[in-house]
Amino acid sequence: MIQQLINALLLGCTYTLIAIGFNLFFGALNVVHFSHGDVCILGAFVTLILYGLAKFLGILMIVPKFLYIPVMIILAMVVTGFIGVFFERVVIKPFRYAPLLMVLVATVALGIVIREAVRLSFPHGSNPQVFPRILPQKSFQWGGVLLRVDSLIIFGITLFLISMMFLFIKRTKMGAAIRAISQDGEAAMMMGINMDVTVATTFLIGSALGAVAGILIGAYNNIIRFDMGLMGGVKGFSAAVVGGLGNVYGAIIGGLILGLVETFAAAFVPGGTPYTDVFAFLVVIFFLIFRPSGIMGEKVYEKV
Amino acid sequence: MGGNRTVRAALVIAVEVLFFILFCAFMLAHQLGKTIGFIILFIFLGVLFKKWEKLNQAIAGLFKEMKMLATMVFVLMVLTLPFVFHSSPYLIHICVMAGLYAILALGLNFQLGSTNVVNFATAASYGIGAYTSALLAVHFHLSFWVGILIGGGAASLFGLLLGIPCMKTKDYYLSLVTIAFGLIIYILLINFSWTGGPNGIPNIPAPSFMGHSFREPLNLFGFNLPFQSNFFYLIFLLVMGALFVAYRLHHSRVGLTWNAIREDEIAARCQGIDVTGYKILAFCIDAFFGGVTGTVYAHYIGFISPENFAFIVSVVVVTMVILGGMDNVFGVIIGAVLLTILPEKFRAFEDLRLLVYGVIVVTMLMFRPQGLFPQKLRVYEK
Repeated sequence: MIQQLINALLLGCTYTLIAIGFNLFFGALNVVHFSHGDVCILGAFVTLILYGLAKFLGILMIVPKFLYIPVMIILAMVVTGFIGVFFERVVIKPFRYAPLLMVLVATVALGIVIREAVRLSFPHGSNPQVFPRILPQKSFQWGGVLLRVDSLIIFGITLFLISMMFLFIKRTKMGAAIRAISQDGEAAMMMGINMDVTVATTFLIGSALGAVAGILIGAYNNIIRFDMGLMGGVKGFSAAVVGGLGNVYGAIIGGLILGLVETFAAAFVPGGTPYTDVFAFLVVIFFLIFRPSGIMGEKVYEKV
Repeated sequence: MGGNRTVRAALVIAVEVLFFILFCAFMLAHQLGKTIGFIILFIFLGVLFKKWEKLNQAIAGLFKEMKMLATMVFVLMVLTLPFVFHSSPYLIHICVMAGLYAILALGLNFQLGSTNVVNFATAASYGIGAYTSALLAVHFHLSFWVGILIGGGAASLFGLLLGIPCMKTKDYYLSLVTIAFGLIIYILLINFSWTGGPNGIPNIPAPSFMGHSFREPLNLFGFNLPFQSNFFYLIFLLVMGALFVAYRLHHSRVGLTWNAIREDEIAARCQGIDVTGYKILAFCIDAFFGGVTGTVYAHYIGFISPENFAFIVSVVVVTMVILGGMDNVFGVIIGAVLLTILPEKFRAFEDLRLLVYGVIVVTMLMFRPQGLFPQKLRVYEK
């Protein structure tokens, strides 16, 4: 039972990291960046490239692993963050005043472009790629529960990143600007907030956090595939919706709920393992019917 | 445009025949160089047509006047396609696929184009139709002609089911529901054992009509046409039927209501329009079209697997509607035909196909969001 809870927590961590991106973007621009999941998996592939590069240059021999790997992850976060900003500039910004449908379809198409670009640029890209074992593979018994060290590290990293992000949003000037544009973009601009820079910052943060999610997925499963981003994106978006779109706290709750549903469906429904995703989506649809604004979301009233 | 009626009729026929010959030559061109040459020619003609206002108006006026004749000549020419391509079954196969996608796109157009409901579950209704009729045919030897109705009906039921959560949701949430539904169907198809799992269903029998099996070559007027021609004529009839339904719906109160919902949902509701009901109607009709298409596909290829109904198929159909021109019945068909034929012509770059799809959608949305053939505003006689 406790074992299942830990698994659920881990799954929830990755969903939360992806969902935070969705919530940040939705808060800032009222758009759903459907290719965000692909950007996250792109982060894992960037790490793969960096790792291969380091291996090729022989850095892995000289620099100890515990020093190199954090640097690599941070580098991948930065690169993916800027890729996210680039996509915002090129694909999302032109639709700022267009109907919602446009940006929706455009980002779905962007997701295809990212997936196919990844598939084509790796040798045998359609097959799963082996992800380097960047986390220690040890495990130990503790009170009858088998704990994997890597799961503890994943949990720690997620907790650290989320608290850092909250501090950033609550305590810094840029964080205040992000909160301001999510309340009212036009009013914020009149107060002298630079919309473009603020939006770019949210995409930088969201994509960088997403990259960590991608890396963690890869590190935990030791495998990544080009099309993982589609499922990851839909799940992350689902988590964001369940928690309440636009509310960053909601992402945590939504991620955990989705993680719990999936883990428990696999563990306690007989023969349920292949159908975990079905259970997750049914929960999401259920939520959308009975509580469309999510758990933490504010109720929206439409005006003509 | 001067001249008497016969001259003008001859002009209409000449323009159509010229276009048809160009199209056939393009399809028959084997080398990549020739293909690219034809595409450049088509783009040049398109731009010329667009820029040269006088010619544009003259031809448009001619076709408007001779609507009946133009349609009949066009239909006749399309009917001769299997004769033109009789030596290469592959080309007829492409035409059949183009027809299938045209029906899918027409179905989606009720939602995406008319009502502004982004539905990413086309592949699901397509798959449900295909699986329903294939399973019935393989296990119970049900005739294709009954299966096509049951397949369409089953898909419609699915559309109704999908429409219910959509009563409460809109925009992004609605798209999420459709994506989730599409993925659920896909996962179920892979995991159920009675659908054959990832291996799919092989050996689906071909339809037969008055003792003539559709897997046998077709003998028409002494010509021996490859078996694909059977399906070509079948799909031609279905496209015509779908076109008729779509056209009539667009020009009916239902189409007008859908458009009202697209323009402003709340305003439409205030006018007393049953927004939910009409949206669900759009879902059901779309799903019916998808189910019928899926049935024909299953019996045509003779083998189906979950891969044929993955998420990407939905995106491709959405692309066709957007490229052709949302809410324009004829534009949508042209979009479907273009996006089926062009990738086949560039088979050498098969790997790049989806990448190019994605790039086309993004650039189209940026520079020509209304599509190649945008729908004109409704005009009513005074």
